[in-house]
Amino acid sequence: MALLETRNLSKSFGGLQAIHEVSLKVESNKVHGLIGPNGSGKSTFFNLLTGVYQPDKGSYIEFDNVDVTGKPAHYIAGKGLSRTFQLLRLYGELSVLDNVLVGFHPHTKYSPFAPFFNGSEVRRQDQIVKEQMFELLEFIGLAEHAEIPAAELSGGQRRLLALGRAIAMRPKMLLLDEPGAGLSPANIDNLMDTIMTLKDRYNLTIVVVEHILKVVMATCDTISVLDHGQKISEGTPEFVKNDPAVVEAYLGREMEDEDIRAAMNT
Amino acid sequence: MGFLSIVPDFIERLGKHHRLLPWLFAYALLLPVPFVLATLFNEYLIDLANRICLFILLAVGLNIVKGFCGQVTVGHIGLYAIGAVTSAVLALEPGGFGGALGFGWPVWLAIPMAVLVTAFAGLIIGLPSVRLEGAYLALATLGLGESVRIFIAVTPALGSSTGLMMIPAPSIGSFVFDSFTSYYYLVMTAALAGIYFSFSILHSATGRAFQAIREDTIAASVNGINVVKYKLLAFVLSAIYAGLAGALFAHMPPGYLHHNNFTVIEMVTLLLMVVLGGIGNVWGGVIGAIVVSIAYDQTKDLIFIFMDRPIVIQPLVFGLSMVLLVLFMPRGIGGWIEGFRRNRRFIRRSEERLSGTARNS
Repeated sequence: MALLETRNLSKSFGGLQAIHEVSLKVESNKVHGLIGPNGSGKSTFFNLLTGVYQPDKGSYIEFDNVDVTGKPAHYIAGKGLSRTFQLLRLYGELSVLDNVLVGFHPHTKYSPFAPFFNGSEVRRQDQIVKEQMFELLEFIGLAEHAEIPAAELSGGQRRLLALGRAIAMRPKMLLLDEPGAGLSPANIDNLMDTIMTLKDRYNLTIVVVEHILKVVMATCDTISVLDHGQKISEGTPEFVKNDPAVVEAYLGREMEDEDIRAAMNT
Repeated sequence: MGFLSIVPDFIERLGKHHRLLPWLFAYALLLPVPFVLATLFNEYLIDLANRICLFILLAVGLNIVKGFCGQVTVGHIGLYAIGAVTSAVLALEPGGFGGALGFGWPVWLAIPMAVLVTAFAGLIIGLPSVRLEGAYLALATLGLGESVRIFIAVTPALGSSTGLMMIPAPSIGSFVFDSFTSYYYLVMTAALAGIYFSFSILHSATGRAFQAIREDTIAASVNGINVVKYKLLAFVLSAIYAGLAGALFAHMPPGYLHHNNFTVIEMVTLLLMVVLGGIGNVWGGVIGAIVVSIAYDQTKDLIFIFMDRPIVIQPLVFGLSMVLLVLFMPRGIGGWIEGFRRNRRFIRRSEERLSGTARNS
């Protein structure tokens, strides 16, 4: 069953067609990779799915059997679609614990005015939530830093926290935008292990954008390839690796012998 | 530095018995203030203390929208004016002095009504924040706030240039809050309650949503926070504070209200309190309100003779201190408090870890 489906998803910025009629299906409980050269529209695609950008007319996005085309970001998040950012976008001055607590926001049960009228209920519920979030922090290994501001974490810890904040929402689907950017190969392997454990533990469907093809090939069930805003290939890692269209997008067209001769003669 | 931690240690021990105990303790400490001021100095200082309490309410309220939620508003003093004039007009007897409007409501009904009206006005002042940010938002709210004052200044029904007079004082039974000392208990209670509720907001999902919007609006929306709703909510909550402060100001002895109390200068003073206190820090804002109010009061008559002419140097002093503050103390007093608390936490955690290893060995 497809958890997420897009049909003819398009987005242009002025004259630039960033995403052009991309149709895609992501199956439940799978890891779906999204690859493509720089500027091929992967991040724009994520921004369209999560409501950060509004798609052009004629696009259609369905998540968990609900039409979410053109809906605001907080609505889509509330449906159970969570994401991380390439540049993390953590709440730097907030503590590590508060960062994941903000991630839990869609499940808050009391009204925004409750602190005025019903302080004891707010404290009671917050206590329960804090314990749950503390468990999550223990799981990703940040529990002992729970009280320090997120800005004071190291680079690797920040990436873990971004992941934790996205998981805190209890999403059905998680979009990961280059989770391994800036990490050493060993750290990336650790991170991918953590992600896979989280996937099993929380029963997640994952879409991952990643530049390191080795990682993508090893973890993804299906891979879609974007180039210049269009989907040029899709299939198993084995299929995509050997697809001439993909090789061309990454390495450029191979010169034919006649072309070379023609070039030398002129 | 050891002696510095005596006070926080004591507060912490009180808080362990019951959450509200530190607040009751603070309340008890504040009870004899008017008598101390009257015996050591003079009656006038009680009036100053009352005004400080009102400015604490204003600063704490402004801190919600500016400090927690990161929305730069310069229209706060306009909300204060709306609260004051609404409450005054509702409570005045009909057919009052100089064609002023009057509805003759009981004061205890006029004040909550004024708070409601101001909350609604806060929603309107907050509307530009949906589209505008930073300096542009500041300009839009400045315009809205200042137009409120001008509207009051040109409308005879709201006092215009003469101001509203003989505004009734609140009373319980036969006891009337018409002296500086009796009114002090009213405004001090309101200020302390205001501080308490400001912390309630900060330590709830509402406060965390505000801070998330301040730190990163896009991340906040992707985390499921309705950014527009929460921005407007921050404006409404801060307007409730401003409305209450304004209404209490209107009924304060001697029961006189003039639009000169709501000028841009007042707004700058208020901003100075919040900046000196450290944007986003509640206690910092409170200290800022106290320090700036006293400084404002003491420099009022400061005159510098230049070429045989008297020059009032107060605006100069305040403008300069604002520049110096932003340059050299951008995090204000609140930054010190934060640093101090973080050090305490760090020391405590290290001690726990050390005693843990000692037990294990």
